[in-house]
Amino acid sequence: MNTVLSRANSLFAFSLSVMAALTFGCFITTAFKDRRVPVRVHVSKVMLKNVDDFTGPRERSDLGFITFDLSADLQPIFDWNVKQLFLYLSAEYATKSNALNQVVLWDKIVLRGENPKLNLRDMKSKYFFFDDGNGLRANKNITLTLSWNVVPNAGILPLVVGSGQVSLPFPDMYETTKSY
Amino acid sequence: MLSIFKSIPTHMDYKGQKLAEQIFQGIILFSAVIGFIYGLIIQQFGWTVYIVLGGFTVACVLTLPPWPMYRKTPLSWQPALPETSGETSQKPQESLKKKKHK
Repeated sequence: MNTVLSRANSLFAFSLSVMAALTFGCFITTAFKDRRVPVRVHVSKVMLKNVDDFTGPRERSDLGFITFDLSADLQPIFDWNVKQLFLYLSAEYATKSNALNQVVLWDKIVLRGENPKLNLRDMKSKYFFFDDGNGLRANKNITLTLSWNVVPNAGILPLVVGSGQVSLPFPDMYETTKSY
Repeated sequence: MLSIFKSIPTHMDYKGQKLAEQIFQGIILFSAVIGFIYGLIIQQFGWTVYIVLGGFTVACVLTLPPWPMYRKTPLSWQPALPETSGETSQKPQESLKKKKHK
């Protein structure tokens, strides 16, 4: 504390410690918050094709196409410890070869300050809904779930499953692929 | 260049150092409490950080330069001994040893 530099050093170190304590306080005030909100998922159209899967074994695999509506109010999730939400819509189903299959069909990043009220109509999936075999045809229980990661300023990175799942049956017949 | 900076007196006396430390701790803790409450109310952690940084700046201005308030109680040194050449030869040797220790 005798010279300018030693005073600057202790001042800086003290400020940094206080800032760390404040960040921890920010985490504590939001750590036990329930970040679940109701979600409404509605599937308007389902289509099933049997196409060549060039990535896997050279067999024809099931490929699903889903058109869905999605509405949710994410406003209650945001607080001062949330930077962004990573939303993703996943399909879960069981087949003969696998007890649990999970495929991410669509995702979206909602930044803090953007419109938190989702109201999406006739969305097409972003990613291919490929099964690794023929497990989609006549599968009567395919569950669509919207989940999200909460990206915080400080603290843990919670993974929240939205309440409001929808289960749908897939058709028994393949859509005939048109040959041009 | 460095000698110019070193020639600027920046020291504080002991009571001034204690006062400076108390002042900057008080300012930063106060701004931290205010910033935390304000950030919690408006739900913006960025404003908490800004307010603490503001307190940091104020504390820097108030306590880094050796303002006169930190130099109110200077140490009262003994007056310098008069230079005497005809003294016994033991005393200068002791003072030389002390200087070497420093």
